[in-house]
Order: sequence, then C-alpha cells, then structure tokens
Amino acid sequence: MSKVIVVTSGKGGVGKTTSSAAIGAGLAMRGHKTVVIDFDVGLRNLDMIMGCERRVVFDFINVIQGDAKLKQALIKDRRLENLYVLPTSQTRDKDALTKEGVKAVLDELRQEFDYIVCDSPAGIERGAHLAMYYADEAVVVTNPEVSSVRDSDRVLGLLNSKSALAEKGDGSAVKAQLLLTRFDQNRSASGDMMSVEDVLEILAIPLLGIIPESTSVLKASNEGTPVSLDEKSPAGKAYMDAVGRLVGEQIEMRATPGEQRRGFFQRLLGRTA
Amino acid sequence: MQSGKSAAQTVATVKPLQIRGRTFTAIALHLSGRPDRAFFEALEARLNQTPLFFDNAPLVIDLEQAQGLDGPQDLVHLAAELRRRKLSVFGIQSGTPTQARAAAEAGLISLPGGRDAALERVSRQGSRPEPAPAAAAKEPANRMVTQPVRSGQTVFADRGDLVVVGSVSSGAEVIAAGNIHIYGRLRGRALAGVNGDASARIFCHALDAELLAIAGLYRTSENLGPDTPRHHVQVYLEGEVLRIEALA
Ligand SMILES: Nc1ncnc2c1ncn2[C@@H]1O[C@H](COP(=O)(O)OP(=O)(O)OP(=O)(O)O)[C@@H](O)[C@H]1O
Ligand SMILES: [Mg+2]
Repeated sequence: MSKVIVVTSGKGGVGKTTSSAAIGAGLAMRGHKTVVIDFDVGLRNLDMIMGCERRVVFDFINVIQGDAKLKQALIKDRRLENLYVLPTSQTRDKDALTKEGVKAVLDELRQEFDYIVCDSPAGIERGAHLAMYYADEAVVVTNPEVSSVRDSDRVLGLLNSKSALAEKGDGSAVKAQLLLTRFDQNRSASGDMMSVEDVLEILAIPLLGIIPESTSVLKASNEGTPVSLDEKSPAGKAYMDAVGRLVGEQIEMRATPGEQRRGFFQRLLGRTA
Repeated sequence: MQSGKSAAQTVATVKPLQIRGRTFTAIALHLSGRPDRAFFEALEARLNQTPLFFDNAPLVIDLEQAQGLDGPQDLVHLAAELRRRKLSVFGIQSGTPTQARAAAEAGLISLPGGRDAALERVSRQGSRPEPAPAAAAKEPANRMVTQPVRSGQTVFADRGDLVVVGSVSSGAEVIAAGNIHIYGRLRGRALAGVNGDASARIFCHALDAELLAIAGLYRTSENLGPDTPRHHVQVYLEGEVLRIEALA
C-alpha cells in the first residue's frame, strides 16, 4: 500500500527540502519505489538539491493543468533505481495548484509508488495546505528554536483539523512525527538553543530523528546530491536512521559524533517509543 | 423637584458604581455589497448548519467591502433582519465616517478595526452540525478535547465547561462559559466564565499561561509574579482579585 508523506514545518528555511530529498533517497536506497514532489511552486528548489534541474521539461503544474502526462513530467534519478522527482514550475504561482488537480496526480502516483514524499512550501497558506491535505503521514521539520517550534505546533493543529483524513471525522488522523534538524549539541547544552526534551514536551509527537547541524548538508546540496547518499556525513547517517524509523524499524536514537551524553538520548528514546 | 431630591438621596445610599474592563469574543459578519435575498439565503443556510453556535451570538457587521451601504435605513433594516435570525448585532467595524454616522442613528456602535480569527478556529467543532435538539438549546453543554490545543487554534465551550486532555500551546486559546480544566500544561490563553460567571474557575496541571481570565478580569504572564504556583493550580476570582493557588 502506498503512503503519502508530507514534509512540512510552517517556518521557512528549516530544512524541508533538504529533508525531502534525503528521505526520498533513503527510501529508494532501501528498495522502496519513491517519488518526491515539489509543492513549492515558483521557487523550485527540490530539483536543484536532487541534481536534476537541467532535466526538467514538464512539471507538476503542467500535469495538473492537463498539458503533460504524469510520465512525461516524472524525472528518474540517475543514481538510484527507485527514485523519481516530480518538479514544480518556476513560472507559475501557487494558485495553479488545485485540490482536485493534486488529488488526481496523487491518486495516479499511488498506483505505482510505495512512497510519495511531498516537499511543502513554508507557511500555512494554500501551497502548504495542499501539500499536507492528502497526506497519510507527516514529517514535521523543526529547528530547536522557539519560533520554529511555535510554527510546527500550528502546522500540527492544521494537520489535525484541515487534512482529508481529519475531515473524514471518523477519528482518522495524519500520523505526525518530529524531525529535529540543524541540531547543535553544544548550543543546546549551553542554552542557546532549545533542548530535544523541551521541543518534545511542547509538540507532544513521536521523535523520528535528530539531524545535526553539518557543513556536509550545504556541500551535498551544492553538488545536487541528497545528503543521505553521503556515507561520511553525520547528517546523512542521521537521515538514514530516520528513514529506518519511518518505515517502522526500531533504531536507537544515536548520539551525534563528538557528543558524549549517550544516556541523554537513550532516555529520550524511552520516552517517545 | 421632589423627584430630584429623592434621586439624590438614592444615589447616596447605593454602593459606588464599578466600571471594569471586559473582553469577549464576537462574530464578525463580512458584507460584500448590499445584502440581497441571496445573501440572506446563504446566511440562513450557514446558521442552520450550527444553530446553537450562532444563537444570540454577539455580532458586528464588517462594512469594509460594503462602502455603498451607508444610509441609516439600510443599517436599521439589516440589524432588524439579523436580530430576527437571533443574532445579537451590536455594532459595525471597518466603516466609513458616513457609515459610522448611519450606524449611530441605527443604534449601533462603531468599533475600531480589529483582526478577525477564522470562524473555524473560533469553533472548530461548532462548524459541524450539532445533534442536540433545538429544545435543549439552553441546557449547559460541556466540551471535551482530547488532543493538544495547538498554536493558532481556539476552542470555545460556549455553554458549559471545557475539558482539555492535553496541553494548550502558546498562541492557542481556550474559552468557556463555565470552568476550564486542562490536564496538561497551559502555555496559551484561558478565559473562563466569559458570559460573566464570576464563580468559574480554571484548573491546570502546569501553569505557564500567556493570559488567564475569569468573567473578563484578567492577568497576563507579566503580572503573574515569580512566586506564582506553577503546578496543579486552580485560578478563581475572589472579589476583584484573580487568585492562583496550588491544589492541596
Ligand atoms: N542539518 C543541516 N546542517 C546545516 N545546514 C542545513 C541543515 N539542514 C538544512 N540546512 C541548510 O538550511 C538552508 C535551508 O534548507 P532547506 O532549503 O532544506 O529549507 P526549507 O525548509 O526547504 O526552506 P523553504 O522554507 O525556503 O522551502 C539550506 O541552506 C540548507 O543547506
Ligand atoms: Mg524548501
């Protein structure tokens, strides 16, 4: 059965696109046929981070508007057999997205893919709403700082009230999990940034993973490679662990390199499992 | 002259009058142009979806997109039509100076422009048809929420107590005509007894509120003070004072 997963945050620039690419690549590496869709109409970052921006001919909006077939717009990744990208348009705006159009595309993708990862734009307006509307699961990307946590909280409220599952009114809900990104153990310990526990206490959802702040992320995105393909990157490893948890494996919340307080993370795992 | 004298005596014997600040939630009805038959039909359809929520709800008419509607008769007529539908219209907002004068003649006050919240947020559950029969409309109805109340959400128990099994986030708002019970941490705003019930109380497991109010008397996080109890507390009115006390 295929799953639609929205990667969302409310706040901008927290790492949604980075995470969408890394999770998409990680799922594909594990053998799941995966497509990553760019819902950020007008900006088009996903295809750059995934290194296929020069291969875009048709896009998501063309498909919604009936100007192209889905097969024409899907771009197959050069490195991973099971990975596809559905890029968005840089020239249109988000009004080109319609509920019916999005549904039709997702329904068609569900026929063929195991995982459909939706890279949401920032904000809580139309684009972000449509990206989350048909989701089965949500990966809520949050940085350990107050404004990001607050926005994630708002997004969780919308997932609980304004998604197709929530609107069924039969108690169905989008399964939401927290991906804490750009985490810096030292700055968190010194109180510069929020602790993992503080964030979890406020958002009250299970923890999918903690992605450390890492220069390898920028490097990977400049090269057009999802960071999870970089085996040496601590962020890449953390993403692969998160992907394992996403597909239901029990993986210990690993400490980031150079970080000593293992017991701390183990306590966390106990809390959220 | 006689009556004048007795009035003066009466004044001397009653308690000095009290004037207090009060906040409450009203519904804003946005007009776009002149209300015609189609408008009233649409309004009725909307009211019928959630009759209880709108029953005698305080309402302001937003005239931002109805600049042409500026004769006193227009507003008198509109107010009558709304009242006939059991809406307690009391004012206008976003009106032009002419509209404000017309409103005054129609007995409506002009409110300074404010920011509205989406109605779904004011009453997420109210927007679903309520099964209660109309005859039971005045019975208290408690409301239970079993999920955290997230930033940006408002939960309103307009005719009874509100129970939240979970936390209330910073930037979220819980409002009740009666008591509010929060089995979690209150980080946002809690307003109990909003219809004036000074005996209403707020209970919560952990207190970190942005605002606490009972019957319109409120305290914000700034004036809670450092030795305010933070765990297992109740908040209640003692005369004029909002007391915060740890539960024994
Ligand atoms: N773990 C990390 N370590 C270091 N830098 C990171 C990390 N995650 C993301 N970044 C950087 O943060 C910036 C924003 O990332 P990204 O584009 O993925 O965010 P976004 O949430 O998709 O943004 P938008 O809201 O604009 O769509 C990028 O420059 C990216 O390289
Ligand atoms: Mg992005």
